[in-house]
Amino acid sequence: MIEEKIICIGCPLGCETTLKIDDQRKVIKITGYKCKEGRQFVLEEYRSPVRVLTATVLTQNSARPLFPVRTNRPLLKTQLKEAAKALIGVKVKPPIRVGQIILPNIMNTGVDVIATDDLIS
Amino acid sequence: MTQMDTEVLIIGGGVLGAVVARELSRYKVDVILVEKEADFGWGSTKTNMCIVCQGGDTLEFRPEYHRSKLVWDSIPLMEPLCQELDVPFKRVGELALIRNNEELGKFRKLKSKAEKLGLVGHQFIDQDTLRQMEPNVTREAIGALYDPNIAIADPVRLTIALIENAGQNGVQVMRETEVLNIFQKGNQFEVETNRGSIKCRFIVNAAGTSVDKIARLVNSDDFVLYPIRGYVGILDKDLGNLIKHEIHMRPDAPGQMNILTPSVHGNLFFGTTMQPARRGDYSTTRRIAQIGLQNVRKIIPDLSEKDIIHSFAGYLMFRNWEVGWHESVVQASRKVSRFISICIGYPGVSAAPATGREVAELLRREGLRLEANPRFSPFRKASPIFNQLSEKQQKELIAQDSRYGHVVCRCETVTEGEIVEAVRRGATTLDGVKFRTRAGMGRCQGGFCTLRVAKILGRELVLPEEKITKKGAESRILLYKAKELLGGEL
Amino acid sequence: MKFSEVDVAVIGSGPAGMAAAIKAKEEGAEHVLILERQEQLGGLLHQCVHNGFGLLYFGQDLTGPEYACRFVEKVRDLGIEVLLETMVTQISGDRKLTAINSHEGPIHLQPKSIVLAMGCRERSRGQLSIPGTRPAGIFTAGTAQRLVNVEGFIPGKKVVILGSGDIGMIMARRLSLEGVEVKGVIEILPYVGGLIRNEAQCLHDFDIPLLLEHTVTQIHGEQRVEAVTIAKVDKNKRPVDGTEQNIECDTLLLSVGLIPENELSRLAGVDLDPLAGGPVVDERRETNIPGIFAGGNVVHVHDFVDNVSWEAEIAGTWAARLSQKGDFEKKEKITLKPGRNIRSIVPQTISGQNDVTFYIRVKEMEEKVRLKVGDIYHRAFRVVKPSEMIKVDLLQKELNLLKGNSSELVVECEKGE
Repeated sequence: MIEEKIICIGCPLGCETTLKIDDQRKVIKITGYKCKEGRQFVLEEYRSPVRVLTATVLTQNSARPLFPVRTNRPLLKTQLKEAAKALIGVKVKPPIRVGQIILPNIMNTGVDVIATDDLIS
Repeated sequence: MTQMDTEVLIIGGGVLGAVVARELSRYKVDVILVEKEADFGWGSTKTNMCIVCQGGDTLEFRPEYHRSKLVWDSIPLMEPLCQELDVPFKRVGELALIRNNEELGKFRKLKSKAEKLGLVGHQFIDQDTLRQMEPNVTREAIGALYDPNIAIADPVRLTIALIENAGQNGVQVMRETEVLNIFQKGNQFEVETNRGSIKCRFIVNAAGTSVDKIARLVNSDDFVLYPIRGYVGILDKDLGNLIKHEIHMRPDAPGQMNILTPSVHGNLFFGTTMQPARRGDYSTTRRIAQIGLQNVRKIIPDLSEKDIIHSFAGYLMFRNWEVGWHESVVQASRKVSRFISICIGYPGVSAAPATGREVAELLRREGLRLEANPRFSPFRKASPIFNQLSEKQQKELIAQDSRYGHVVCRCETVTEGEIVEAVRRGATTLDGVKFRTRAGMGRCQGGFCTLRVAKILGRELVLPEEKITKKGAESRILLYKAKELLGGEL
Repeated sequence: MKFSEVDVAVIGSGPAGMAAAIKAKEEGAEHVLILERQEQLGGLLHQCVHNGFGLLYFGQDLTGPEYACRFVEKVRDLGIEVLLETMVTQISGDRKLTAINSHEGPIHLQPKSIVLAMGCRERSRGQLSIPGTRPAGIFTAGTAQRLVNVEGFIPGKKVVILGSGDIGMIMARRLSLEGVEVKGVIEILPYVGGLIRNEAQCLHDFDIPLLLEHTVTQIHGEQRVEAVTIAKVDKNKRPVDGTEQNIECDTLLLSVGLIPENELSRLAGVDLDPLAGGPVVDERRETNIPGIFAGGNVVHVHDFVDNVSWEAEIAGTWAARLSQKGDFEKKEKITLKPGRNIRSIVPQTISGQNDVTFYIRVKEMEEKVRLKVGDIYHRAFRVVKPSEMIKVDLLQKELNLLKGNSSELVVECEKGE
């Protein structure tokens, strides 16, 4: 049986949790969390860590050189760097409303990249 | 490769090269001044502590030494010069703190010596008067020697003003131009620079930390110079009212000085330590910084490290370090005709006005014909300093150019209009803008304004922002564009 | 709107300024004016492209710009006046305010009340007195964040970050995603300066080395940064001789502390608390000068933007009420005093007549302590950290338990549970 420590990043509290894992890699016990969402988060984090990607993309015809975006759902942690690269060629033009889809289905994950700001000009 | 021709070539655009240029512009003489950095006064001049002293400082007062004589002769010249050039000059007075009878004895001797030489004004003040004049100064001082004549100035602004005035009066000025070699051909010099060659008859070698290096190019090695490194700290403007006078204390260890002074811009500067340094080493070290802080706390005990907003190494070239720092170099070469070298070390700024005249005289003796330039104007107007204007003046300025209403540097209240004007007058780098306008010199040290200044520089110089540098050459601030490191197309 | 008719003037339009202005308007102040020095509303939110904003305030995990959008929309909907690219240069003790912009030139106002919401600035290299040369390539983390997220530049390709504050860690991740080699985050304390969650999702996730109990002792490079020397530090945070190592890099980022930006407050004669860094305020967030209120990072550095907005709303509420009522009755004040292991408490004074939320920061990390507010409140903590602000809510009836006419309330960390 092994113990793994995972910091819950579900909210800024950042509770330090401890997972007891048996030989079949099954989680037997979790301690240290402060809310049920946190417990769920940590469980999933152990099984398959995911992260929201927040980044910027280049613009065209705009006074602003960059535009902020995010994925509308988390990607697998291992996909982050590749996802950042996938945004290199993306160029956005005004007008854009916050929440608008900028790049649908990034890397065929079913996750969309959306605008996090308005782009007026 | 360009070829240029002139009568006098001045090598170096620090305060000394600049004052010579301005002096020579009084005459009908063709002058070119070359400066290797992107802007003026970036060698020893900018690390100067801004005090215009009178030679009668507490350490030495020996007018028989050339250095002291130059300072002495400059005394009546500095204030009128600053007025003509529209640069700051403020008579704050100086208090040399006395801690015990031994120091009192030394100061007594100094005072009587000064009086014998005709330098009046020094007074002894007792402890009570000292408390009234300077309530925040250490209680250990039992009195002080007060010299009401000591003033403060801004050496880089003075240098830039001298250069501008020289330029107005016909001197040609080239920046980012470094002297690589000097050839003697008959009664001419041919000077090879990174921007072409310059033929000239006379050379004034005012190359600061490279004076001896340049002199060696013509095998003129009648002097040896030693690099000396000091330490200067700048305190938060909040503390600007802690003292009103320039204050110093006798050093407790050889090779140190201990000065705390107001600056013309409202900060306090403190300076300390003078140690031999490796050539070209302009770094500060932890040890020197600690000594600096220890020393200034002897003057004002409550000061701490967190009151410092910026610090840097002062560096000077001294002559005859082993026997003390009395002498300077202001001389025609004994080996090579028409080649004058100047290097004052400390106090270079205070000695500048008289040095300008002396060098003109030295050149005359070497054969330069000095015929008065009837079009010479000694006056130069500074660009507007927005936060010093009345509201009416501010409104007028904004009406002419609305960019004067856009504040870019919050800490020092510097407007876009002033920055644009600085670029118009020659700033091409962040530091150039900084020294000319003070943008970036405040307590946030450029945190807010640096990027904005870079944008303005890019726009005014019609350069992409990535090409903007902090101080010329290889000091670009922005190395890559977004996505570039990921292999993105630009 | 004529400038002579401003009821509430708010200086700054970040998460504090906008929240204060909106609340002031909602409380009935008619003419609310925001003065913002940048080209758009939102303050630093625009450069914070990462998420973690609004979890408490909106119940959603938003990015900085998304958080800003919510407030900007409300500012517009409520018809709050905004002056952009306008710098406030002077405030006097009787609320005379001078600002300047390119259109109007110098502007003079005397609003009925003012809310200071200028946020903070970053500690610079000069203030740390890091020895060495003064080359290009040294940035505070916030400046680098603006460069990378707004201006479209990457400062360098080999970066060392001094300080493990949140901004430093966030930038470590951001730069990694932009292809930069982040060679390490150097932290002088034995623990991370920002949130643990950022240590996990910014440093661990990206395999960025974290060197605790280390500091930068020298910067190399004449024109541009070429390397830094780092060394281990002892318990007194002094570098230990012989532990130096050089790290080759072209950029040094500094994430070594935020300082509330109170130059204007000082000019106005507002009393500042040297421990919190900002104005001394009461539970209404009013400073010692009647009619001048403050909220957000200008009062003390917060952890979470949600608290910044909530605090600023307190300031906005009372600024609006004062502008309508004219004055508050000045009650006897109870002063909060920091006791054992307490760095700062906001608000620093209370009337004792209202419910109050205290924001407390400890000096040092400590385990198993009991936080006490006088004799009227205590709570056990497994661990307290300087980087984590502690909120204590006290009801007015609990404050009534204060014995006698105490004019002082001590907040302290008692050892043991």
